[in-house]
Amino acid sequence: MSDAIRLEGISKQLGGREILKGVSFAVKQGDIFGYLGPNGAGKTTTIRILLGLLQPTSGKATILGEDVSRDEARRKVGFVLESDGLYDNKTAEENLWYYARIYEMTRPAERIDRILDLVGLWDRAKDKVGTYSKGMRQRLALARAMTHNPELLVLDEPTAGVDPSGQIEVREVILNMAYKEGKSIFLSSHNLDEVQRICNRIALIDRGEIKLYGELEQLQREMSRNEVEIETTEAIAEPLFSELKSLSHLGLREREDKCLTFVLQEGVRVPDIVSLLVRRGVEIEGVSRKEASLEEIYFAILKEAEPS
Amino acid sequence: MKGMLVVLQSDVGDILHSRGFLIVAIIIGVLAVGAAVGVPIALNGWLATGLAWEEAKPLLELFMGLAVNYMPLIVLFTCMATWATDPIAKEKAKGPIESLLATPLTARAVWIGKSLAIFLPAYIIGLITTLIIILVMNFASILPATGHFVLPLPEALTSFLFLPLLMFALISLGVIFSLITNPVIGQTIIIFVGVLLLQVVGQVGGRMWWLLASWDYALYNLAGAALLGVIAFYLSRSLSKERIILSSKGKWA
Repeated sequence: MSDAIRLEGISKQLGGREILKGVSFAVKQGDIFGYLGPNGAGKTTTIRILLGLLQPTSGKATILGEDVSRDEARRKVGFVLESDGLYDNKTAEENLWYYARIYEMTRPAERIDRILDLVGLWDRAKDKVGTYSKGMRQRLALARAMTHNPELLVLDEPTAGVDPSGQIEVREVILNMAYKEGKSIFLSSHNLDEVQRICNRIALIDRGEIKLYGELEQLQREMSRNEVEIETTEAIAEPLFSELKSLSHLGLREREDKCLTFVLQEGVRVPDIVSLLVRRGVEIEGVSRKEASLEEIYFAILKEAEPS
Repeated sequence: MKGMLVVLQSDVGDILHSRGFLIVAIIIGVLAVGAAVGVPIALNGWLATGLAWEEAKPLLELFMGLAVNYMPLIVLFTCMATWATDPIAKEKAKGPIESLLATPLTARAVWIGKSLAIFLPAYIIGLITTLIIILVMNFASILPATGHFVLPLPEALTSFLFLPLLMFALISLGVIFSLITNPVIGQTIIIFVGVLLLQVVGQVGGRMWWLLASWDYALYNLAGAALLGVIAFYLSRSLSKERIILSSKGKWA
């Protein structure tokens, strides 16, 4: 089975500036792939190359096995770009019909009704898009991306500028598309919380280079920095905290209410810490290994990549 | 081809529902009614002097030549100047053009579809108003007074075919510039060449009036259309999705 997206050494120069520098990664079929990076990192340029809007200076990009320069590749992909690209003077239905005709769909009426229902806009189908809220526009843009029933969706910041309730609605639509419709999803976003909630694989791009790429859970485990959280039944008193803190080999990092966070040091095991605490009369409620959040990973990688 | 027709159909619909179309339709309607009323009055007075057919014929052909050259030119020019590149500017600024290009549509299909969408409504309005003028001039004045129907073939061909072809070539040139550079440049080219053509027709009518009904003049129009068409076709080779996208972001390639 071919990858949903495969980029091999993609570079792009624009106006004498190298926007992408040998970008390589793959999105497997069925993935919800998060593409992260600060402003100007090259996310939108990558998306434009994927959609055949820009030509790479070098490298190879394929969508479901088809070279992105081929029309066939563009038939297999639906998209939501930075700007929703909807026609304000047309109704929601007319917008979808327009794209259905471009994709040469036969009998699209049923599909359009179904998709409008999926994004919760069926009752506003006959209203001009100019009257829609930002959240509704984004849901309609997602519907448009789905109209021709593509196997892959490329979404460029679909929740940007949408209010929190609208973000939840858009996120639900994306999840429906992934799980109910079985689509592979490539999601470029600044919203780390959103990516952490819905993506199973990520890539982080900075200054045109991929800095991190892999399965999110595995990356979180790998970057957890061996942190262990120990919950206690009562808050630790200051004298005990100071004593524990002075035992540097324990690696006690912080105390927050009834929770102590340790960074495991070489040669120190979790049971050693637990037994020490028990000996000091502390009642343990629970012990858990702390995974790094996507936000922590993101900033750690960007800090690492900062030019010295 | 199919994709081009989809763009054409959608853009024609947008133009027909726009305020610009309504304004143009009103202006041209007023012009056509004025011409339909005024021209027979002027002609009838002149024909009543009892000129022989041989003497009247070249003057009537000049009159007809001016009408059938000016009318489509004014109509096409007014339409183009009003709705030629503004929709493209909006699509580039608001983003629909980028979404359109991310589909299997080619840049060339978008170009031809948009050019035809501007041209066809303008051509149909021009055709109807010119036909009205020709019929009113002939049936209300010339035919009753002389017994002849005046519309030399070169004039008819120029009015209904060569001049519209010239204007279509001009539109397609303007649309290319609008797509790959700033739409203001496209608009400026259309207005500049349009004003130049109006001047040329006016000068020819005044100084070389015998030319208007000649095959030479018809062929000049055809040659002009061919020249602009060749330029547009040549430039269309540089029309790419990348150029359109970059120009939308203010980076003219």
